[in-house]
Amino acid sequence: MRKKRWVPWVLVGPALVVVFATTVYPLLAALYYSFHKYDLRKAPQFAVQFASQLGDPLVSVDWSLVSLNNYARAFSDSRFINSLNVTFWFTVISVGLSVIIGLLIAVVVQKNGRLHTLTKILLIFPFAVSPALKGYSWRYMLNEEYGIYDLLIDVVIVRPINVVIELVNTLPVVDIAPLSESIVWLADRFWALFMLAMSETWGWAPLIALMFVGALGSIDEQIFEAARIDGANRLQIFWRVTLPLLRPVILIVTMLKTIFSLKMFDQVVTMTGGGPVRATQTINYYIHQVGFVRNLDIGYASALSYILVVILTLLAALYVAKVLNRE
Amino acid sequence: MAVNVAAEGSKRSTWDSIRQEIGRLLETLALLLIIAFIMLPIFWLAMTSFKPAEKTYTTDIIFTPTLKNYEIIFSDGTVLVNEGTERERGEIGRNMVPSVVNSVLVSCATVLIAIPLATIAAYAFSRYNFFGNRAMLIWILTTQFIPAIVVAIPFFTLFRSVQVFGEPLLGTRWGLIIVNMSIVLPYAIWMIKGFVDALPGEIEEAAYVDGANDFQVLLFVSLPLIRPGILVASVFAFIMSWNEFLFALIIGREMRTMQVALMTTSAMRGVMWEQMAAAGMIVMVPIFFLAMFIRKNVVDGLTMGAVK
Repeated sequence: MRKKRWVPWVLVGPALVVVFATTVYPLLAALYYSFHKYDLRKAPQFAVQFASQLGDPLVSVDWSLVSLNNYARAFSDSRFINSLNVTFWFTVISVGLSVIIGLLIAVVVQKNGRLHTLTKILLIFPFAVSPALKGYSWRYMLNEEYGIYDLLIDVVIVRPINVVIELVNTLPVVDIAPLSESIVWLADRFWALFMLAMSETWGWAPLIALMFVGALGSIDEQIFEAARIDGANRLQIFWRVTLPLLRPVILIVTMLKTIFSLKMFDQVVTMTGGGPVRATQTINYYIHQVGFVRNLDIGYASALSYILVVILTLLAALYVAKVLNRE
Repeated sequence: MAVNVAAEGSKRSTWDSIRQEIGRLLETLALLLIIAFIMLPIFWLAMTSFKPAEKTYTTDIIFTPTLKNYEIIFSDGTVLVNEGTERERGEIGRNMVPSVVNSVLVSCATVLIAIPLATIAAYAFSRYNFFGNRAMLIWILTTQFIPAIVVAIPFFTLFRSVQVFGEPLLGTRWGLIIVNMSIVLPYAIWMIKGFVDALPGEIEEAAYVDGANDFQVLLFVSLPLIRPGILVASVFAFIMSWNEFLFALIIGREMRTMQVALMTTSAMRGVMWEQMAAAGMIVMVPIFFLAMFIRKNVVDGLTMGAVK
């Protein structure tokens, strides 16, 4: 073997330097900021007229060590607690829906057939739509006056249920109020969060389906065949064979999607703007508000983002352990 | 007894075939539902981009298609007739040409810088045994879990004060390209490493035996063989930086990329949906082609090979 020992370092070096500079440096710097009072509000018009202020390093900032004050403040900040709450529910809903719908799509699409193949090809499309655009297009489609989703939900779900309710109401004793046809989706605290999660699900369920299709393809067809010969029906095969075999992949995909969901930001900006009344302010969105929009409190924003880093680090450790275990 | 069994059998087979037919029908319906679920938002956006403004606030699908929305987003606000009324209706030029240029330049430069670095690093990670090889790879994997906002905050304050040619880096293409590295490079390294791993080492061994040195082997033997993988990783990296929003908003600022330019389609009466849709088409359609091209590798790329 003629390979020289110093060669790999030369090859790896440049990439390592760049990854180090763009990930470790900011992590350390943010940690440092988080223990300091570092507020750029000295230039009040900054948020609006930032261009003129940006180049002026002379804007003096109060720069003093405040130890853990920023962190202490976070846990008595009701808006931050709210954002933790919002992020938690957003993650639960979007991860749950993405994985379940992804699994259903994968099971349907997995077989051979012309329509199956076409659908498999189309599954990549939502990945190509940028999250920011996703948010705008969902906001447009959910509008209560001219949104196509709003119309579809009314026609497919609300009206048939109302017909049933009316029928039930003709009975002498019962009286159920019909469902409202004019829910303003993004103005309702619950529905706004739910629809935000739905827009995320639209982007991710097809991708997760693709991941499952790959995993299903690597399962030996003979296993399904054996189950069929033993007289299992489709549902039984799904519950007793497919699902147990997919378990490791489902676990990894769920963890990965959880990590992505916790970092959600783009659609909040373009779809709900955090509203109504902070009902969709995720952690990332709130940090952005604190650091760059409403205030310019870099120290506090750094502390908040470090809380997110800690949560994600725990998850990442679990994830890495799981992935390595598999190998 | 034998007759009985035969009768039973034929009854079951007709019943089975009916059930099979129903099953097939349900499956087709499910497939159509999936297609509708995936394509409706895309179709609706595409359609809206060709709608005249007055039809945007209806769910009509019959209208006379127009290119006016595209004309509005690309014109610089001076070419339209009826200046007064059009300004009132929000139909002023949005001047998005610079944004398209910004997006293209930033994404291309990100790819051109990240991919060569990633290629040689991935090759070394795959082919050499050196101290910390595995640990560094895992560390690179975990960098994808760092929330982008943590990267954005220190670079925001840094780029505010760092001057290049008398201009702060904040709000420039270079600033955005630098922070884009934090998300693009780790993915690219893992992706290309996957392709190098899949390459049998014998050809390289043969080259070593023939007296080639490490760099000759990399440059003339391995590199040509992993070219398809490099291309896939480049496309993936391009899509990532093209669709990036948080950095573009915080670091890119007034140097608007297309993602941020989407937000400039508002007027007195809120977002001008037909204009947003037209801008959205510019954002989305090129990426469709690129995504189709790397369709088979997207999953591996996103999961860094964890799901196989």
